[in-house]
Amino acid sequence: MISFKLTEEQEMVRDAMREFAEQAITPIARDCDEASSIPADYIDTTWELGLVSAQIPEEFGGAGERSAITTAIVLEELGAGDAALAIAAMAPSAFVNAIIDQGTDAQKAQYLPAFCGDKFHTASLAAIEPHAMADPANPRAVAEEKEDRFVLSGRKSFVLFGDRASEFLVLARNGSEVDAFIVPRDAEGLTISEPELNMGMKGLTTNTLDLERVEVPAANRLGGDQGCDVRRILDASRVALAAIMTGMSRQVLEFCIPYAKERVAFDEPISKKQSIAFRMSDMHIDTEGMRWLTWKAASQVEQGLDATKAASFARSYAAEKTMWIADNGVQILGGHGFIREYPVEMWFRAARTISVLEGTVSA
Amino acid sequence: MKVMVCLKQVPHQDARLDVNADGTWIQDGNIKFEINSYDTYALEEALKIKDAGEADVVVVSIGPDRVTQALRTALGMGADRAIHVKDDDADLSDTLGCAKILAAIAKEENPDIVFTGFMSDDGNFSAVAPMLAELLDLPSATGVLSVEVGDSLKCERELEGGALEVVELPKPCLAAIQTGANQVRYASLKGIMQAKKKPVDVKTMADLGVSDAGAGAVKAKIEKVYVPPKGDSAEILSGSTDEIVGQLVTKIKELGVL
Ligand SMILES: Cc1cc2nc3c(=O)[nH]c(=O)nc-3n(C[C@H](O)[C@H](O)[C@H](O)COP(=O)(O)OP(=O)(O)OC[C@H]3O[C@@H](n4cnc5c(N)ncnc54)[C@H](O)[C@@H]3O)c2cc1C
Ligand SMILES: Cc1cc2nc3c(=O)[nH]c(=O)nc-3n(C[C@H](O)[C@H](O)[C@H](O)COP(=O)(O)OP(=O)(O)OC[C@H]3O[C@@H](n4cnc5c(N)ncnc54)[C@H](O)[C@@H]3O)c2cc1C
Repeated sequence: MISFKLTEEQEMVRDAMREFAEQAITPIARDCDEASSIPADYIDTTWELGLVSAQIPEEFGGAGERSAITTAIVLEELGAGDAALAIAAMAPSAFVNAIIDQGTDAQKAQYLPAFCGDKFHTASLAAIEPHAMADPANPRAVAEEKEDRFVLSGRKSFVLFGDRASEFLVLARNGSEVDAFIVPRDAEGLTISEPELNMGMKGLTTNTLDLERVEVPAANRLGGDQGCDVRRILDASRVALAAIMTGMSRQVLEFCIPYAKERVAFDEPISKKQSIAFRMSDMHIDTEGMRWLTWKAASQVEQGLDATKAASFARSYAAEKTMWIADNGVQILGGHGFIREYPVEMWFRAARTISVLEGTVSA
Repeated sequence: MKVMVCLKQVPHQDARLDVNADGTWIQDGNIKFEINSYDTYALEEALKIKDAGEADVVVVSIGPDRVTQALRTALGMGADRAIHVKDDDADLSDTLGCAKILAAIAKEENPDIVFTGFMSDDGNFSAVAPMLAELLDLPSATGVLSVEVGDSLKCERELEGGALEVVELPKPCLAAIQTGANQVRYASLKGIMQAKKKPVDVKTMADLGVSDAGAGAVKAKIEKVYVPPKGDSAEILSGSTDEIVGQLVTKIKELGVL
């Protein structure tokens, strides 16, 4: 039997995250976007929620509870508060999950405990490259093996919290394989750019990394001698993005419904006009669709099945539909849609931005 | 130190409330519930004591199955243990019945401090806390905005007109906490995940040796719950402000109220 019923624990998680998003995320989202920064106390509060440490095994200080579906539920709720702030809250998880899933025992022992402490600590995935037709699973960055070391060269963009991450997980071609390498921020030859200037989700700091013959010990190759399967890293991150986009779409819809019921034009609420009513039903259907695609992919990740196709479907569908929904959000609000007093123009920019992360829709 | 917190689960503030078929309570089968807002502040006071040093925080609730979620949420926020009085008859108690059941638990647990909410969001009795204190013969304070724990419990109480009153209660004691007393923490994801490993004891009135609570012991019986009928005599005036003022003056004159 296929059931979409949440467990009691998942319901509690959903309710707790929804409450958090309503009280702590939505009210500050506009200010973060305008100021192009996220306040430190927001980062501290999210850290206390243990979003990342919940997933880390108990022996390293976490709660040892990993479920890709529960994570998708968390991300939808946070994303319905604000996409940029949701990503900030979960920032270290791409790195952390890769270590948990594919790291050696030594890598787990070395890196995981820092994410279970009292203070915010982050590390980032460096997957995307700034050239045309960039495919994170096929990077141009290269790793050359040199005795007991690897020498990395290449360029990575949209690296989250490049300004404060302690390590980067850099995807690079290693001979005929693609591998991931843990690069400490103070590595020689690594240059971290000033924050990138982005169209949407401006509160988030992203940076470009330039790696010029950066040497790391062979032990920094994720998975050690075995190497790793980078598709699994990308699958998890695509499911996460799809979940956030589901939240974003829900947020647009939940804002538009009461607006359309109250806004009167030509003697009746615009929600009575078929062009608006049909549009909003389609927005609703698409939001449901993205949730189910996301949960399906998450379920495959959770069961350890190959999730590459499912994760790509979820992300690609979510990206396309989120843009469409955000666009309609602006449309439904008419003149109010593009003024900064209303949030829809911010969501529109965010949807445009998140849809390009990790491969364009057309790729 | 042991701190006991009494938590009631009440209909969610956004829940739609309809009266049930026999007009004795609301239809509560299909609505969302949450922890009574006052009780979240009471829990936060207990967790602050725990954060500051050693304290074992026990949360207690009387109610049906759904109450587990309130207790799990409290465990997710940091409470150590939960006691769930799950007993259909206990749910039908009046305020004194509730207080008797909670008193039986307090007698088993012997807490140094009992925290309750000042009142419930749904029943509004503000009665359980002082009754519980009396049954346990504990000094108590209601409407408490802040506490300071030492050998005794110093409580700041809210009085009329913004004035505050400070009372000192020797321990063991009871304080009924007012809303806004503190900044209630969020249930953490890590905490919720860990909560399932924390114990929840389920008890009945019989387990607690309580026989004088429940439906049979009710002194104040709920006769009827209803939504007052809407009057049909309201008239909404329309037009420009000047027109409305003119119509209003005419009406007042017609009615002869001036
Ligand atoms: C189906 C049903 C039938 C009822 N029948 C009657 C009736 O016949 N007669 C009658 O008088 N009342 C009846 N009640 C109401 C019930 O008695 C009250 O809920 C109870 O007396 C507590 O009062 P209160 O909720 O206003 O609490 P207050 O006195 O306002 O609550 C103060 C504090 O006491 C604690 N507390 C209260 N309830 C609980 C609880 N369940 N578990 C743990 N802590 C708690 C909390 O800390 C709370 O903040 C009925 C309720 C239901 C649901
Ligand atoms: C100068 C002063 C000193 C005080 N010192 C102390 C102290 O040391 N320790 C302490 O615990 N409290 C002290 N109190 C508080 C006092 O005990 C309370 O006023 C009393 O317990 C009643 O509580 P309440 O006013 O909150 O009324 P509630 O109990 O909330 O009142 C509810 C209802 O009870 C009835 N009621 C209450 N009081 C009276 C009354 N006096 N006569 C007739 N009906 C009444 C009324 O119908 C009233 O509407 C002091 C009060 C004053 C003014």
